[in-house]
Order: sequence, then C-alpha cells, then structure tokens
Amino acid sequence: MQLISPEDREKAFHSVKKLDAIQKQGLAVRYHVEDFEVHDRARRFLEAFAAILKHTNYRVALDQYVRLSAKCSRCTVKCQVFQATGDQDDIPCRRSELLLDVYRRHFTISGVLRARLLGDPGLTDETVREMAEAFYNCTACRRCHFECPMGIDHALLTHLGRYILSEIGIAPRALVVSVREQLTGSSGNTSAVPVPALLDTLEFLSEEIKEGTGVDVVFPIDEQGADYLFLPAVSDYIMEADTLMGGAAVFRATGDRWTIGTGYFDGINYGLFYNDQILEHVLRKIHTEAERLGAKKLLMGECGHASRVAKFFYPTFCGEKQPRPVINIMEYTHKAWRDGKLKLKPNVITERVTYHDPCNLARTGWILEQPRELLQAICTDFVEMTPNRRDNICCGGGSGTVSIDEIRPYRTLVGGKAKAEQIRATGAKYCVAPCANCKKQLRELMEDQGIDCQIVGLHDLLYKAIDFESGDTHGIVD
Amino acid sequence: MESWIEFGRGPLFRITFSLMLLGLLRAVALTIFGMAEAYRRSPDKIINWREVRRQTFAWLFPVKRLWRARPLYSTLSFLFHLGLLLVPLFLAAHVLLWKRFAGFAWFAIPQSMANILTGLAIMAGIGLFLGRLLNPEARKMSRALDFAWPLLLVIPFVSGFLCSNATIGANAYQPLMILHIYSANLIMLLIPFTKLSHCVLAPLSQTVTAIAWKFPAGAGDRVAATLGYADMPSWIPKARLERPAPKTMCGEAVAK
Repeated sequence: MQLISPEDREKAFHSVKKLDAIQKQGLAVRYHVEDFEVHDRARRFLEAFAAILKHTNYRVALDQYVRLSAKCSRCTVKCQVFQATGDQDDIPCRRSELLLDVYRRHFTISGVLRARLLGDPGLTDETVREMAEAFYNCTACRRCHFECPMGIDHALLTHLGRYILSEIGIAPRALVVSVREQLTGSSGNTSAVPVPALLDTLEFLSEEIKEGTGVDVVFPIDEQGADYLFLPAVSDYIMEADTLMGGAAVFRATGDRWTIGTGYFDGINYGLFYNDQILEHVLRKIHTEAERLGAKKLLMGECGHASRVAKFFYPTFCGEKQPRPVINIMEYTHKAWRDGKLKLKPNVITERVTYHDPCNLARTGWILEQPRELLQAICTDFVEMTPNRRDNICCGGGSGTVSIDEIRPYRTLVGGKAKAEQIRATGAKYCVAPCANCKKQLRELMEDQGIDCQIVGLHDLLYKAIDFESGDTHGIVD
Repeated sequence: MESWIEFGRGPLFRITFSLMLLGLLRAVALTIFGMAEAYRRSPDKIINWREVRRQTFAWLFPVKRLWRARPLYSTLSFLFHLGLLLVPLFLAAHVLLWKRFAGFAWFAIPQSMANILTGLAIMAGIGLFLGRLLNPEARKMSRALDFAWPLLLVIPFVSGFLCSNATIGANAYQPLMILHIYSANLIMLLIPFTKLSHCVLAPLSQTVTAIAWKFPAGAGDRVAATLGYADMPSWIPKARLERPAPKTMCGEAVAK
C-alpha cells in the first residue's frame, strides 16, 4: 500500500466551498450541492428509502447482503481510493455497511426488535452526512465486487445510496445542472450544445477530413431508416474531434448507413450515477429519437457509462418484446475490420501505445479484446498495463465524479493515483481510453501528476491508419 | 452424565438439525422468492448467466483466488472451511451415529485424515480470529459476533479431537463430550439466523446481484410520486424546496 503524502492529502481534501454554504446546508462535503430542505434529513432519508424499497428491486440484494457481509476486508486490496488514503472510512465494505446498517435497523424485523430492546434511536443526521461524503468518494468501479467472497456488489450499494440521497436533495450540483439541461433545457443535452452548433461542428469535421485524407466523409443527419443511430457522449462534439472523425471514416469505409439525430444526440446518462428516475427518462429520450428516425440499432460512441446504460438498461425501460440491439462503436469497427470491410494500414503508430479499460466496458467482460486487436494491427509497440482487462484499475473519475470540477485535486491525487502509477510504468506515449469520462479524468491526471502521455480515443488512432485506397468504396465515388 | 450425552446426540440433535434445515430452507426459499419477484418486475430478462456462473463457481472453489488479496487470511479461511465441511459429515464416529439413529449412512474418511483436517481447522480458526484482530481494517469493521465465530466454531473441533484421541482419562472424557455435543448443537441452531447462513446463501449472491441490477420500468416515477413529487421533476431540488414535506408516510419506517 502506497499512501499519498501529507501535502497531497491536504490538497486533495481541501474544500473550495464557502463556509456559509456549508453551515447553511449542514453538509461539509467537498462537492457543491444546490440548496435543499435541511431540516429532518434523517426522517426524510428513511421515507425516501422506504419508497425506493417499495417500488424497486434493491430489497432482494439488501436482504442478501445484510445476512452475508463478513467484513473480511479483502476488498481493501482492490479499492484504489483506500490504497491511496489508507483511511478506514474508504474501505468498500465499511462504506456499504453505512447503508446496510440503516437497512438492518429500520427495514428488517430483527433490527427493529433489537432497536426497541436496546433503545437505539436509529438513523441520525450525522450518518446521513457521512453517507453524502462516502458515496461520492467511491467511483463505483466494481473492482471490489470481484474480490468479495460473499459476492456483495458495493457499487450497487453506492448507486442506491446516492439515489436515496438525491431523493432528499443531496446530489452534486455539477450532475444536477447537466441533467436539468438534458431533460428540461432548450438544448436537451448535458453540454447544452444547440443543434446549429452541432451542424456547424459536423460540417467543419467533414472539411477537416477532406483536407487531411482527401476523401469525402459525410456525417449523415436525420436519415430515416438508418441501420445505426449514433450516440456518443455529447462532449465529444466539443472536445473529441479526432474520435468522431475516426468513427465517420470507419463508416465511410464500410458503407453502412448510420445517422446522427438532431432531435437527440447525447449518449450521456448521469442517471446511472445517482438516480433511477433520470436513468429512465434519458433512455426514453434516446428511444423517442430512435423511433422517430426508425433506426435499427443503437450505436454508442466511445463512452463507458453511456454504453453500459444503453446496453443493460435500454431493454428495461424501452421494453418492447424485441428491443433494439445496442452496440459500442468499438465492437462495430472490430467486426468491420474482421470482415475485411475496413482496411487498416499496419505499423502506422510507431510510438508506444497502451490501453486503458473503462470500468463500465471491461468489468463484465463485455469489451476486452476488440480494441486490443485493432491496436495491435496498427501499432508497432503496444504494451499492456498491469493489471488489465476485467481487473483494470479505475481512472479515478468514475461514476460521474469526473464532472465535479471542484473535486479535481481529490480525483487526481487520490482516486487516480494508482492509475497514474500504472501509466507511468508503461512508459507509453499514447494511452487509449475509449471513454469520454476516462479521457477527461486521465488528461487532468497526466497534467497534475506530471506524466508525459497523451490520452486519446481508439478511433483517434484508427483514423490515422484507415486505408481508403484499397478498401471497397461501396459505390461511393470520390 | 451419560444420559446428557445420549440426549444431546440423540433427540436434541434431531431437533436442532431439523430446525437448522428448516431455517436454511426458509432462507433459501425467501431469497429465491425475492429473486423471482424482482425478475418478474423487470421487463428486461437478459441476464449474463455465463458471467454469473463463472463468478459463482469461482467463489465456490476459490483456490486460484486466495492469493489475490490477504493471502494468509484467505488460505486459513479455505482450510477452515475444508475442515468445517468434511469432518462433521464424514468423520467415522459421526457416520456411525447416523447409522444408529437414522438407519442410513455414507462413507467415512480415514481417521488420520480427519485428524489432520481437525488440526488444520483448529489452527485456521485461531488464525482467523487473530487475522481479524490484528488487521486494523477488519478489526474496525467487525462486530463482537464476527470475532466470536471462529472461536465458537473451534470449540467442537478441539473437544472432539481430545475425545477421539483417547489419551485423556475417563473423567475428562465425559465433560469434553458434553461440551462437544452441546456446542455443536448451539452452532447448528444459530446457523440459519446469522451470517453462517452463507453456507447456503452465498452461492446465490451473484444471481441476486445480477437481478438487483435489473430495474422495474417506471419505478423512479413511482418513487417520486410516493414521496409527493409526482407533478414536478424530481431532479430539480429547488422545486422540492418550495413544497412542504409530504405527510403520507410515517416517521418510523415499517419493517416488511
């Protein structure tokens, strides 16, 4: 275990919040929270908990976990936050126990009886405050889940804890503001990109590709009946031009019909991070757009959480008998390359390249080998981080914490410390991180930790290696 | 004293054993019922069974995983479980008892093997207690029972070991046998109501988790409605500020 230095700790846990805001809200968390009803928080927490238990499926897991939790502390080895702080409040099991204790005390018969006997007053405001802090220290990377002999999923409990907290008004302002714009704002997406700006960007990207490669690549807009509705993290349209150009170039090579919908073009879904209601409403927006355009499949961009939400929750909330298949663009590109529709020039990237597995894609074993095979096809010097694949270490900005700018020192000094060491050890010039959140976090991490490594998307590199000449042009004439 | 021994391993054993079985059966039934209910409520029936199976079996036979985290503690735990499962079921003396009381039995392991397993289990049990005590993280989290369990489980092993290796005098034999029988009965009684129920529940954990990640459609809206925010988006905390707290729910949340 390598603890952070006392100076780093000072910086990481320094709060930028004003004292009067902390006093007014009675909440000393480092992230900003919009004003909410402060009085009687513990009671309202229990009411929200009861309502959630009544309508959702968490109860079955809670029942199981309160019985089994063995507190063996094997999870300590896997938690990059605990490994950095050594702070006992950061042990995954202990964090989960905060919530499990509330469940045990208030929602199981034995707990209620024991409390009556012992005169236990029950949930206090202090515990609510503790949870507000603890559940946002966790990046919900699920790495500890696979080290738990009892199979307790601490990320599920983090998700539930945040959900309950958000129902009483405690949620990071950064996430709340984005979601409000996405669901009720005029732009309808988290980065508040208006449609004209989107169209400008796409036109600019087309010109850029023409200039760079000499081929015409279009970004199809609002095409009816396309095979794929493309949904990247909307921030890609602002920050990740190369990733988008790479994606478009792949489609130019394969000739498949894809489209970007002007009705809704954002894959981001912060609901996964703190509220099931938001999760569902955002997915319904995607569904509405897919229906409007008659798209056959959903194609998620290089974004871990967006892909996971779409793949694992789209069938839940947009439930027809046959929900649309959801695929990630890396799967698509890999398949096209395998089928010979996409030609890649070998040995184009000569610098050392490494690959970061986004937790949401790799932890379940969904996307592991596809990007690696593609990278090995175009790179001369591809190295792995250790550990990798399912056992990868989180970038430190998982579960939406990357969007909370005021906790950047915490993310780069504590949450991302293990990742920084990993990347430093590879000596790579490029680190491929096919996830909008990971990219932002890793860039800040490289900057704050002083590591000379460029963070790119997979399609950024593929773009440099796509062979337009020898590939079938599918009847498209340049 | 002889009658105490006969009572403990005869009628009392039959009662505690049946209660244990019924209790465990109830725990499994409730869990399976909970899972079925949750699965029914979610419109999405796609579960990655391969992954669930992989994880479940990996933890049922965790030899490869022991070294990944807290290797010494994990190895001790593995040896402890080995003894706990094999000796009570396959010790020759136990098998004979079954034959006598139930009329049927199964094969027994050689006495020398039972001795080794018992020795390992005793050492592992003490090791697990110390591992919990000396590891600051585990110590901080554990409750009294977490510390007590390994020691309590070791009692029947120590007493049983002493009884079967008859170097002790007849005077010591009977009290030790009583300790052996009654501690084992107590443990069996406690199993269904404590974390020891993981003997039947742990293999279900991965499935439970997979199903708990399946959400019922519309649940978020119903939660908001129950809390009295049906007519306004719940993701706007400001809107909630302006509204008085709902009066529909009682302060003390109700047990199920």
